[in-house]
Amino acid sequence: MKVSLNWLSDYIDLSDITPEQLKHRFTIQSQEVEALYPLTTAKNLVVGHVVTLEAHPDADKLKICSVDVGRETLQIICGAPNVAADQRVVVALPGAVLPGGFKIENTKIRGVESSGMICSLKELGIDEKYHAETGIHVLPETAKVGEDAITVLGFDDIILDVDTKPDRPELLSMAGFAYDIAALFDLGINIDAADYQGDDIENPFKIKTETEACPSYYGAYMENITIKPSPLWLKARLIAAGIRPINNVVDITNYVMLETGQPLHAFDYDKLGSNEIVVRLAEAGERFITLDEKKRTLNKDDILITNGESPVALGGVMGGLDSEVTTDTKRILLESATFKPRNIRRTSQRLDLKSESSTRFEKGLNTEGTLNALKRACELLIKYAGAKVSKDIASFDHHKHEKRTIELSLSKLNGVLGSALDLAETKDILRRLRFPYTVDKEIFTDEAPARRPDLITYQDLIEEIGRIYDYNNLPDTLPKTVSRGGLTPYQLFKRQIRHALNGLGLNETITYSLIDKQHVHDLSRIKDIDPVTLANPLSEIHSTLIVTPLNGLIEVAAYNVNRRMDHVHVYELSKRYTVDKETELLGMLMKGPYHNHYWQENAPTNFFTIKGIIEALRERFMLPKFSYENVTLDNYHPHQTAVIKIDGTILGHVGKLHPTYAADHDLEDVFIAELDLEAFYAYAAKDNTYETVLRFPSVSRDIALVLDENITAGTILESIHEYSTTILKDAHVFDVYQGEHIETGKKSLAIRLRFEDKTGTLKTKTIDEMVKNILEALKKEHDAVLR
Amino acid sequence: MSSLSCEDFFYLLGVIHVNVKEKINTLEKKLKAALASVENQAQLQEIKAEFLGKKAEISQFMKHMKDLPDEERPAFGQMVNEAKKRFSDLIEAQREAIKKAELDALLRKETVDVTLDAPDYTLGSTHILNQIIEEIEDLFIGMGYLIKEGPEIETDELNFEKLNLPKDHPARDMQDSLYIGNETLLRTHTSPVQVRTMLAYGGEKPVKIICPGKVYRRDDDDATHSHQFTQIEGLVVDKDTTMSDMKGTLLAVARHLFGPDREIRFRPDYFPFTEPSVEVDVTCANCDGKGCNICKQTGYIEILGAGMVNDKVLKMSGYDPKIYQGFAFGIGVERLAMLKYGIEDIRHFYTNDLRFNKQFKR
Ligand SMILES: [Zn+2]
Repeated sequence: MKVSLNWLSDYIDLSDITPEQLKHRFTIQSQEVEALYPLTTAKNLVVGHVVTLEAHPDADKLKICSVDVGRETLQIICGAPNVAADQRVVVALPGAVLPGGFKIENTKIRGVESSGMICSLKELGIDEKYHAETGIHVLPETAKVGEDAITVLGFDDIILDVDTKPDRPELLSMAGFAYDIAALFDLGINIDAADYQGDDIENPFKIKTETEACPSYYGAYMENITIKPSPLWLKARLIAAGIRPINNVVDITNYVMLETGQPLHAFDYDKLGSNEIVVRLAEAGERFITLDEKKRTLNKDDILITNGESPVALGGVMGGLDSEVTTDTKRILLESATFKPRNIRRTSQRLDLKSESSTRFEKGLNTEGTLNALKRACELLIKYAGAKVSKDIASFDHHKHEKRTIELSLSKLNGVLGSALDLAETKDILRRLRFPYTVDKEIFTDEAPARRPDLITYQDLIEEIGRIYDYNNLPDTLPKTVSRGGLTPYQLFKRQIRHALNGLGLNETITYSLIDKQHVHDLSRIKDIDPVTLANPLSEIHSTLIVTPLNGLIEVAAYNVNRRMDHVHVYELSKRYTVDKETELLGMLMKGPYHNHYWQENAPTNFFTIKGIIEALRERFMLPKFSYENVTLDNYHPHQTAVIKIDGTILGHVGKLHPTYAADHDLEDVFIAELDLEAFYAYAAKDNTYETVLRFPSVSRDIALVLDENITAGTILESIHEYSTTILKDAHVFDVYQGEHIETGKKSLAIRLRFEDKTGTLKTKTIDEMVKNILEALKKEHDAVLR
Repeated sequence: MSSLSCEDFFYLLGVIHVNVKEKINTLEKKLKAALASVENQAQLQEIKAEFLGKKAEISQFMKHMKDLPDEERPAFGQMVNEAKKRFSDLIEAQREAIKKAELDALLRKETVDVTLDAPDYTLGSTHILNQIIEEIEDLFIGMGYLIKEGPEIETDELNFEKLNLPKDHPARDMQDSLYIGNETLLRTHTSPVQVRTMLAYGGEKPVKIICPGKVYRRDDDDATHSHQFTQIEGLVVDKDTTMSDMKGTLLAVARHLFGPDREIRFRPDYFPFTEPSVEVDVTCANCDGKGCNICKQTGYIEILGAGMVNDKVLKMSGYDPKIYQGFAFGIGVERLAMLKYGIEDIRHFYTNDLRFNKQFKR
């Protein structure tokens, strides 16, 4: 809410407080002040009287005005079409600086001297949303020549712009601000209850409700209204509050709303069509035109004010076009009511219709102030619109009007805050807050004032006392709870995975979990997952949750390669999201030379580079051997892709991106892998194991086999292990050859076998026999022969 | 021997001695001259054969030995052997010199330009958001906290209702959410993890946890908004947990992250799940609280929100608010990183331009 300090000064004495002090204290102890600014920065402006007017000899549109500014009469050239003799106008004297840094100086316009400028509202820095004036601003005849024009206009004001939080609905009213600032600075306060004398006119209205969503409704009837512009001070206050002045009746309803927080609505009686007001909920599909001339389709959440037959207002949100107050209005029904916040909120959200009124109703009002606000408006309408007001006010009011009391002990207060407040200090804070209370020993029974509907629990009260005391006065202590902190083994594992991959030169990325539904399964291995799709996405490209981290990594590669970074080695710890399960996955991507060697020869980055990373992780976390089985997956290279298994459980997959898919992303030679982290962790060793280091070296034997080219190395190695005893430590292929000297359709594999015996030195004979067995088995099983 | 007179004998002896000695001297000079021009091992072998081989002159001298009286023979033999040893040493010294020269030549061929680039063995780095999470986790682990994680697809009940945000609560406006179904959504904060933890603890034991993770809001992405971002929330619940404990804890966080000289201040704020609620500002590290562009002349920068857990929240999570009370706080990790490093656009965290990611190595 935008708070005018002039207006605030009606209620409290701010003369000893600077605006900056106010801003600071309010921010620290109440709500955040977003801005503090003068309504206008224009200075050195006076009220002038246009004495005579002549045409400029050299310009059709310019006029030479002789303007009396009190001390002297100035010659001012003015181009505004609405300038006329005998007007009271705002004159910027030479030396004045207008908003935007525009300096006024003595000058010549087309050869004629001009000393000053006659100003429009816009030139004073008043935004066009607050007025419809195109020309210069014409002041009322009552304006005294030579006086400061900004003061006359009521624009000599400073605005405190405060972001009102939902728990402080009272800060949607000037009165609320006055009470709060009075408490913060320990000031006196002067807010009178409304008082007016009604005329001897009967209120013709019968008012009733058919819904609990409107618990109270007060209606005043008045005649003899003269619609005209509001007085300057009232206009200025509305502008200061960010509301555009319209006419006296509308302005007064807005003014009283700003003052009290209670929204009001004026109906043109002659357009209502009945003497009855019936409040009900809308029928589903019912239609209604609001005063912004929009046709609204309603539903059962919407509250309608009707004339007994047809709707005349969307209760609490906006009036109807048909019963709007216009320049012809003579008689009005003025409404002051309360509505259930939930309904207002739903209506306002669904129709995307936020008004000053709906904003207040949806936060919950002071239900005791409804009648007072109506009376206050009557008071002003009598004064500024010549209204004659009915003696009676038609109404119903189903609010319980009970006092709210809150109990709070001093020990609880200190126990929650960690403070050491004593009885006297606490009493003093309650006095400043103007919360009536009684105290028995150390227990306060506090009466929550009606103006503070937000105060319900003891915690609400602690908050009030705490902020007036100032939380910054609390000591700095730590919780007394003694506990053992730490990561779970799995959390530690995830960190270790990161650190291991960093050590291997891969960079971690974080990409969006929400992607385009169309591409969710582009790179997935498990295709029968129904992706999780948002009901209200912001856009298609962020509409669906990923089932693999690989989509994001491809985007990262494309982005970086596009920017000439050819070495993209990245990973991400992310998830496969399904409705009932979120599985943590590790995605990896390698593109371009692994460890760029610059002027030296680079090792090729291929399938085995990324497989090497996976194997490094396997080795690091001490998992048993993986098996890699060729697999066909959409958008992967059909002959360079494998699933990774352990004991028949699939841990993930690794492969080359299909060149066509890669090309679609302006990429080539991209290798990717996905590992199921939880499954991986399940097989990881949870602790080190120790074996005595052998005193004897291992013994190696190399064999070269010729076999069918379709038989995989893995198959051969598996057979070798199968036909060996534990003395075979490991077996690795160290050469693969096809070509000259090898029959077409065959290949040669050179394998190094390493033998070790824990019990002693191996005998050549033992090894010979085992190699012989292996070779025989390979011949039999795979028709693999020694080369 | 008998054919020689005594005089003869002494004469002969003197001649042999003198002759041999002279000859050795001459040979040694010759050898030195020859060695001086030797360039390789083969030439050296030839010289060795010439000067020390069987047919070498020096080897012939020993034949004179028989002509010498018995008592003279040892001295003569010693003279010749010493000469041979000298010759040999000279040759071997030259052999070493040649070896060294050959190796030097070889090594010279292996000269590298030490200013050339080494291969790029740079380590990768953890994403800056996870670095900050780890840093904060470690601080809290040191203070006895556990790390709790939870699902990102949450129920409306756990994300909102149990946090005192019933349907139609005005504060739901503050965090427009991404819904999956009527009752499921992407969590808008990590608070549901706190609820889950309290429910799992059964209202019995103290809670001291922090909950890092991804959260989502229905915000259009721009320089300061992201539909996905990262939060760390904390919760302490016990019989005697106070707002001052919260203040001391958050002061420790601010100093850990922004330096030991930082101060914090509390400002009242509103969150449905806490009461009292505060916004926490830290004194601007750039201007030390004096006011600058970074802190918009206020001297303070907002870093997190916190408050005393609302009784309703405790109750809905199975804790008796008559016995237990506590505090909770929430930190926006992106915001923290942006403040700490002066990062100007939140989208950088999710673009993963490697020129960005690689700058953070802690
Ligand atoms: Zn600063």
